[in-house]
Order: sequence, then structure tokens, then C-alpha cells
Amino acid sequence: MNKLYIFLKYFFIVVWTVFVVAPFLWALTTSFKDFQSVNGGVTYIPWVDFEPNLEGWKVLIKSPAKGGVDIIEPYFNSLFVTCTASLISIILGTLSAYALSRYTFKAGFVKNNDITFFFISQRIMPPIVLSIPFFLFLSSINLLDSLTGLIVVYIVLLMPIAVWIMVDFFNKVPREIDETALIDGCNPYQAFLKVVLPNSIPGLIVAGMFCIIFGWIDFFFAFILTFTEVQLLPVKIVALNSSVTPWWSLSASALVSVAPLIIVAFIVERYLSKGNLSGAIK
Amino acid sequence: MAKIDLSNISHSYNPNDPNPVYALNPFSMTWENGNRYAILGPSGCGKTTMLNIVSGLVRPSAGRILFDDKDVTDLKTEDRNIAQVFQFPVIYNTMTVYENLAFPLKCRDFSKSKTDERVNSVAETLNLKSFLNSPARKLTADQKQLISLGRGLVREDVAAVLMDEPLTVIDPDLKFRLRRNLKEINEQYKTTLVYVTHDQNEAMTFADNIIVMSEGEVVQTGSPKELFERPNTTFVGYFIGSPAMNLFESEASSNDSVKINNTLIKTHTNLSNLKTRNIKLGIRSEFIKIARNQNENLIDVNVEKVEDLGNYKLITAKMGDLTIKSKVTRETEIPNQNVKLHIPAEKCCVYEDNKLI
Repeated sequence: MNKLYIFLKYFFIVVWTVFVVAPFLWALTTSFKDFQSVNGGVTYIPWVDFEPNLEGWKVLIKSPAKGGVDIIEPYFNSLFVTCTASLISIILGTLSAYALSRYTFKAGFVKNNDITFFFISQRIMPPIVLSIPFFLFLSSINLLDSLTGLIVVYIVLLMPIAVWIMVDFFNKVPREIDETALIDGCNPYQAFLKVVLPNSIPGLIVAGMFCIIFGWIDFFFAFILTFTEVQLLPVKIVALNSSVTPWWSLSASALVSVAPLIIVAFIVERYLSKGNLSGAIK
Repeated sequence: MAKIDLSNISHSYNPNDPNPVYALNPFSMTWENGNRYAILGPSGCGKTTMLNIVSGLVRPSAGRILFDDKDVTDLKTEDRNIAQVFQFPVIYNTMTVYENLAFPLKCRDFSKSKTDERVNSVAETLNLKSFLNSPARKLTADQKQLISLGRGLVREDVAAVLMDEPLTVIDPDLKFRLRRNLKEINEQYKTTLVYVTHDQNEAMTFADNIIVMSEGEVVQTGSPKELFERPNTTFVGYFIGSPAMNLFESEASSNDSVKINNTLIKTHTNLSNLKTRNIKLGIRSEFIKIARNQNENLIDVNVEKVEDLGNYKLITAKMGDLTIKSKVTRETEIPNQNVKLHIPAEKCCVYEDNKLI
């Protein structure tokens, strides 16, 4: 029974690992192939199965005039918009979440839980519903096709995630921590900044991670609200496609676009393995 | 350090309700500077509410709080210079033990040398010296509670240290030592200590004044001896002491005697102004002994059970339907069946409507 359990455990781990890693391996090998190698049957091992070349990668940095797509500027645009919007969302979301967790609000029948639900309900409706209002709004303040406009829209999209995660997190941080800080001589702002916030770093990291992921992968609003002045990475990658699908450069761009998320996951994993997320409360 | 006056304090968590429920009924009390107080009562009787009112975490629905005659009712918690230790350890996880202990001083801009001196002194008292540089979150639950306690004791000028069942998570051995330490700290620094507990032994061994509470009411305040020998109500008699006070339904038969099961018991209480003849006689099991040469206040009982509880024997006996408990020394010879027990008149408490006459 025990051996069967161990066998099944490792069997499923192996199956899952293959399921997760295989697409990356496929993309990695494909990114070093050319038209011949891609269409010449299934091949995996470079120099044995096929002759690797950097054509797929070069396309990403060549200017359009030279037949490339130049994803460097959209790449940094994406990084800038995602990081700025995530940071602002986390700051605003954390402050709102703390207030919602610790103070009682009441306006008619609307109470704390309803306000929290209002935040998250922004994410429940399909994005298409928001596209026209956002378009008209940005157009009225002359922020269409600009990084600032995108940041404003992304804050609206990311802040509910931050509020939702942080309300839940603050609810789990005992009120006695705030009360002890007050008794020790902090005013409510100092209690939040010096005591509650440092204790909430695990929650901030989780919220930050979700904000970065959702901000980074968004295609829809980046596509609707930008034209020629500003482009974000997902939109640029789609522009790679043509009548002959360039699997090699698509694979390379997929790897490049996934890289920041892998780095974020790697840092969080390091943090997790140090035990910094566990036992944070009590 | 301060004298704390609680004047006509009452509190309800739903004061705007047409029928508000009071967690604390109106009471007044003074906590003298440098004394040790215990607030004793069953769970939900309003002990913690009382502490939170003093520390400023809760504003009372009515009444005033005075620290050294200065009204602090509307003063914020952080401006009251009070320390409070909660039932479960509350520590700042991201800080070391030293930083935790120094935090209240840092918030009040104490100098580095003064902070060092106070933190080291408190760490020494609480056996935390070797952990000063360790992250606080790595310590065990009872060590964490010591940190909470330490943060309360680190300020010398604190008005009072309020402790809400602080030793619940600490093992019995350390508990005993800590209680003794707290007493020493109180004697050395004259810090007013207020200790909330539902454990009467803790209250009796720690405090020189005990406040007994029941259902939001302060039912009695007094020294452990007063509470033990002259409980104001049958609740106090029942709640304090192990076993609880013997309470017998009885009937007044003269100005100073009561009848229980047709046996006359003399008391030192004047019973001439009774409104009802149905009263209760209360007597501690410690005061009931096997009769020797006495010729009054004797009751005939059948011994039902004798338990040897280490340093004493507990006799459970029956007189008709009534159960009587008596604590005697281990050396006492106890006959198997019929025994005459003596009830000393001066130790009898008589209760009318559950209140001491």
C-alpha cells in the first residue's frame, strides 16, 4: 500500500512536471529553429536533430524597417505601466483594505462587506463592458494612446485585487497588535506603518504578485486604448503574426514575455522557503 | 504611576438600542498607587471591558476615569501611558526581542542609554537576556508572552500595568515563578498592577485587593481574607474557595440563631430586621471541624466519603438531604459513620436574598 502510494505520488509529480515544463522546452527549441527545421517534422535536440540559429531572437530587436518588430520599447512600456500601476494599486488598496478591516462604515444599507464586494465586483463584469466607458473617459481627458492613460486604467483594474487580498489578510492579523501598538505609545498612523504593515509583508507580496501578473498579461485594454504612439508587449507580440506563422520569433517573444513573471515567482519562492510567509501571525 | 479613579463607570456595546445590554453596570472604584489588584470573575462578566476602559481602547458609555485626579476619559490610549498585556502573546514579528522590548520606549523618544538599561533590566527579570538578539517570532509561546509582559514593564513611569489573563499560555512552574516576579517588581518599583483572571488561586496568591465580578456587576472588593471569610453574596461564597462555601437553606429562629434541618445554629449576626424568614447559612468547609469538647452548634451527620487530597482530607457528609463538606488535617481520625461536626458561630455568614446580612 505504502509503495503503491509512493509510486502514484511520483508518477503524478512526473506527469505534472512534464505537463508544465514541456511547453517551455518546446518554445525554447522552436525559438532557435528556422522555417526548414519547424516544418521538417518533430525535432528536439539542437545540433543533432536540427541546426540552431538566432533568427527568431534577432527579429525581436530588429527595427521594422529591417524586417523586425522591435519589442524593446513595448517591453519597457509594459514593465513601466505594470510596475507603476501595481505599486499605486498596492498602496491605495492596502490603505483601503486596512480601513475596511479595522473601522466600521455604514451608509444606509451599505456596510463594510458591501464596499469590499463593490471593489471586487469591478473584476466580475466582462472587460468588454468597461471598454467603451474607459475609451470615452480617456479620450475626454486626452490620455488615449498614452502610458499615463494606461496606468490609470490598470489601477482601476488592479486595485480591487489588492483590496480583496489585503482585507482578508488584515482580518487575520489580530486587532490586539494594533491595540498593543497604541498602548505602547504609537498613534494610529504609526501603529499602521511601524507595526501592522511590517507584519503584513506576506500579504503585500501575494497582492503584488497578483497585480503584476494581471497587469503584465493584459492584452484587451492595451489593444483598445492604444494606437501608434504607445504599444505594450502583448499587443506587439500579436503583431508578429503574419500569413506565414513565424513560430520561431513567436516562441522567442513568448519566452521573453514570460521571463519577468518567472523572476517574480523565483523571488517569492525564495522568500517562501525562508519561512518568512509562515507564522507571521501569533 | 498613578492613582486611578473609576467614577460611575458603565458600558454598553449597543447604547443606542432601545433596550441596551450593559456589559458593565454602574460602579465606582479607586485603585491606589502601587497596589496589586486582581479582577476575578467567570468568562463574560465584564473583566476585559473594564480593563479596556482603563486603557482607553473602549470609551465608557457613562462615567469618568481619573488618573491622579486628572480626567482622562477622552484621552487617547497612546496618551495615557498605560501598559496592557493580553491573554495571548502579541509580539511584533518583524522585530528582535530587544526591539520588541524597546518599542514602547522608542515611541516615547527615550535615550539609547536609558532604553538599553531598561531593556536589559526587564530581560534579566524575565529570563530573556540570552534571546535579546533573536527574532521574536522564533520564540516559544510562553517566551512570546514574556515579551508582551516585558513591554508592559519596561516603562518605569507607567500609570498601571493591566494584565488580561496573561499567564494562560505559560506552564504551571513558570507561572508560579512569574507571579512571584511580578510581586517583586510591584514591591521594588511600586508599579500598580491589575491582573484579570478567572482562577481564584491566581487572584488570591497575587493580589492584595480582589474585585469580584459577575454579569457586569462588581459584587465585592476586598482583601483575599475578607473575600474568603465574609463573602458579600452567595455568588462570591460559591465562586471563591475550593470546595465552594457550604450554603444551607435555613430559617431564622431567634435574633441570632437559624435552624437547618431542625438543628439550631447560633451565629454572630443580628437577625432581628429580617424581611423574610427564609435565609441561607454559609460556612466555609475549612471552619467545620469534628466536634471535641463543644456543646453547642453541633450537627449530626453521616460520613459519605473521605478524600485524601494530599495536604488535607475532605469529608463529604449528609445531614438529611443536605450535603456538608469539611476540610480537616490529614492526621484527623474520621469515624466511619455518624459524626458530630462543630460549626463555629463567629464564622457563620447569613444571607438574605443571597446578600450578606
